[in-house]
Amino acid sequence: MKRRMFVGAVGGSAIAGVAGCLTRDGGENGTNGGTDDAEPENPDLEGELTVATYTSMVDSDNSAGPWLKEAFEAEYPDATLTWTVPSQGLNRYINREQQDADIEADVYFGLNVDDLVRIDDTLGDGGLLRELNVDRIDNSERIRDRLDMGDPHGRVLAYDTGYISLVYDETVVDEPETFDDLLEADYQDALLAQNAQHSDPGKAFLLWTIDTYGEDGYLDYWRDLEANGVRILDDWTESYTGSYMEEERPMVVSYSTDQVYANEYDYDMSRHQIGFPNDQGYANPEGMGIFERASELDLAYAFLDFALSSDAQAEIAQRNVQFPAVASEHVDLDPEFDQYAHEPPESVTFGYDALRGNLDGWVEDWAREFAGR
Amino acid sequence: MARSRAFERWSRVRAGATAARDRLEHHALWLTALATAAVLAVMLYLPVGVVFAHAILDEGRLTLSQFADVLTDPFYVGVLADLFAEPLAVREHVVDVVGWLAAVSVSISVETPIPGLDVPVPWLRVVAPDVRTGLFGFTAYQAALSTVASVLLGLPAAYVLANYEFRGRKTLRSLTILPFVLPGIMVAVGFYAMFGRAGTLNELLGIVGFGPYSFIEANPLAIVIVAHAFYNAPLVARITVAAWESVDVRTVETARSLGASPRRAFRDVVVPQLLPAVLTGALLTFIFTFMTFPIVLALGGLQLATVEVWIYDRVRQLAYGEAATLAALETLLSLGLTYAYLRYESAQTGLARATSAPSRQPLFPDLQTALSPRRLAIIGYGLVALVVFAGPMGSLVVGSLTDGSGLTLRHFAFLLERQFEGESYQTLPVVAIRNSLLFGVATLVVALPMGVVVSTVTVRAGRGGKIVDTLAMVPLAVSGVVFGIGLLQGLVFGIPLPGGWRFQVTGAVAIVAAHAVAAYPFVTRNVSPLLSNLDPALVESARALGASRYRALVDVELPLVASGIVAGAAFAFAISIGEFSSTVILTGGGDTYTMPVAVERYLGRRSGPAIAMGAVLLFVTAASFVVVDRVGGRFER
Repeated sequence: MKRRMFVGAVGGSAIAGVAGCLTRDGGENGTNGGTDDAEPENPDLEGELTVATYTSMVDSDNSAGPWLKEAFEAEYPDATLTWTVPSQGLNRYINREQQDADIEADVYFGLNVDDLVRIDDTLGDGGLLRELNVDRIDNSERIRDRLDMGDPHGRVLAYDTGYISLVYDETVVDEPETFDDLLEADYQDALLAQNAQHSDPGKAFLLWTIDTYGEDGYLDYWRDLEANGVRILDDWTESYTGSYMEEERPMVVSYSTDQVYANEYDYDMSRHQIGFPNDQGYANPEGMGIFERASELDLAYAFLDFALSSDAQAEIAQRNVQFPAVASEHVDLDPEFDQYAHEPPESVTFGYDALRGNLDGWVEDWAREFAGR
Repeated sequence: MARSRAFERWSRVRAGATAARDRLEHHALWLTALATAAVLAVMLYLPVGVVFAHAILDEGRLTLSQFADVLTDPFYVGVLADLFAEPLAVREHVVDVVGWLAAVSVSISVETPIPGLDVPVPWLRVVAPDVRTGLFGFTAYQAALSTVASVLLGLPAAYVLANYEFRGRKTLRSLTILPFVLPGIMVAVGFYAMFGRAGTLNELLGIVGFGPYSFIEANPLAIVIVAHAFYNAPLVARITVAAWESVDVRTVETARSLGASPRRAFRDVVVPQLLPAVLTGALLTFIFTFMTFPIVLALGGLQLATVEVWIYDRVRQLAYGEAATLAALETLLSLGLTYAYLRYESAQTGLARATSAPSRQPLFPDLQTALSPRRLAIIGYGLVALVVFAGPMGSLVVGSLTDGSGLTLRHFAFLLERQFEGESYQTLPVVAIRNSLLFGVATLVVALPMGVVVSTVTVRAGRGGKIVDTLAMVPLAVSGVVFGIGLLQGLVFGIPLPGGWRFQVTGAVAIVAAHAVAAYPFVTRNVSPLLSNLDPALVESARALGASRYRALVDVELPLVASGIVAGAAFAFAISIGEFSSTVILTGGGDTYTMPVAVERYLGRRSGPAIAMGAVLLFVTAASFVVVDRVGGRFER
């Protein structure tokens, strides 16, 4: 009896399973395949807007996502904002575009410049996201000049930025004034960095050294750093939470907003000093864009505009612990945030043009220096 | 009249149904085998094939150029690159090897190899010119060291658990599998919390006036190897305990009665019965540590990168061709090893094992026995195990209860708050726990028949069976990163069919199938050795007495291999609970996330909530393993 049920169950569910696995693609090429981004007279501000992002935007202690959803829906009562967190990040959509599968999102919230480079390397120039009609995004004028991400196809707008810097323990080491200082005996076995192959701060720090020493000199600098005992761990979490917080080393590549957390969590502030070698920090602006095949175009434009409004900018900055993208006269931040979030005197960043065609080679040459020997 | 015709038809139908049922039962084994093959084809060979096609296809044309590129790149294969580049220049290669050998010198000196301890030891010093091993060479080297460490740490545990009786033995035996379910990031955080300069171990040493030592900084490779042992020694222990408990004690008694000393009887009778299990554990450890990725980078850094690190990087860059080529080479290596091992395993046929298990001695019956050298050695081992296994896990739990300023419950408060006030698109702890347990049980239900069927089919198929068996081990030999991409491209996006249709597999069913595919090799590897040792006469007499092949399996063979099945079941459950890479892909943005996925999602700028979720993962899994083992133990004998 039981056996019969078992056999029946196996056979039956196999058939049902196969039947349930067949789906039919929706209409050809989505509904808005064209390039008509002119502002309509009566924008359609009704419906479900799907916004793809990364996890900490919706899933950490006090993340910005829930606030954005609530405030956006209050502003546009006929709209629903649905967050989605793709497990492969933007790669998911690049893959789907390649396979001609449905793109289930309208907006991508949280792109770096190197994501744009990867899109264009894989899908051809100007792929995946649509060229924005900035006239439809009134607040885009408020974005600080430095945060232009340099896309020749005008697909993204920055909504915030972080600065990569050094975080150090002042009871063990002094602030390094320059990059060359890091090669001194005082900083032997002191620095923790991240693997630039797949860590954002790790990649930013590598690019920063390329900016300082040039394409031809950066590998020499890193060889010297290695001789002085730099350690390159997997990712920010491993290096910071794992190693730095357990006092393995007195200095780590991290974000210039570190003290905001140190203050919030009552950490010993002397272990959370911010260092800007060469008086610089590497700016890592985070951008947003609209998918070419978005189905809620008007709402998507409304969302981009909304994300740059004063209230949203203040909340994104404080909850995401990054700096706002708009100039300071357009945003009010808590004095406490201003006190603990440090901006470097000068910011460095590579735009789209500098990275296109170079980034992969730079990172791979760098990684080959360290691995496999 | 009409009524009798109806009755006639009814009885015909009934007879037909009975015949059909008999036939079905007759063929049940083959039907299950077919279902297994179908699951494997869809969930394993299709995705893996989709990825590996990238390795041999270039714009639709077959090519081996990508393999040639990798094999002639010294970065990947070190000195072997020359060999692959010019395989026919034998003379040159011989000259190279002779030149290298001539440059090797060996001398004996006195050194103090133990850091911190000034103990002089005679030391054999070998000076040899550097050989560039390349990424593959280094990966194999660290995997070999990790395997040795795992076996050395795992065997004493197996010895104690199989031979001694003490309070909590069963619970401890259940918990040996716990490290297996921890996500890599949690192990890394646990290791830093245990062995870091400010970690638990240094705090303990500080109490007695030592330290602090930089254990991790002093030798990252050593700490990576210990971390690999943390994962894999329990695996070795568990497989070996299962074999040890099914050693036929009568064979030992026979040897003793024939005059063998206890040591001799152990060496000649027990060891050969344990060896296949130990080697299975070693083989699995080698394959796992060969494909390691998060642990080496998290604890060792880029300097200890493995092949898998490069595969992951290529996948992130969407350079599937190179990723697939590296992965194919990795898989070929592991499958080659597996095949060699399976040939060995099949050569180890012995007698049917009856179930007269060895009796256990009490561990500490009295103080005098407790001070005997053997007991002291066990205590010493227990201390080491405490540091290596309990330490990192305990430090995790402590980490979930503290923050920079001292004891706190805020991380757990976060979980509660999230559960009760969280939005639907956020990750809710209870949903993760529920999914993990549900998928774990479902995986058991699917993977056990799959594993047993693969064992039965292959054990009986002779040499061809070894090849089938090797192919059935593919889930272990394929890199998790590659399998994930294959699932994504092959199943989640779907295979386009004519007429605008797509063949797609997603959601809970896909997750359970993927877990079952990852888990059944453990059932097979635990069952096969027992099954191949069964006396075929037992099955033959059952068949001669009229039992169907299926009935013989269920009534005769399964009870005799029950200990292997229970061991496999625990692994299947553990694999399902701990599986991350394919779960996270098949979950997508939906609500089929599991506990390890939740841990990953809570890792924001501050990791307190993630560590608290990790502690919940530890607790829930520990509780369920005790249950799995207690329930399983009833069927064992």
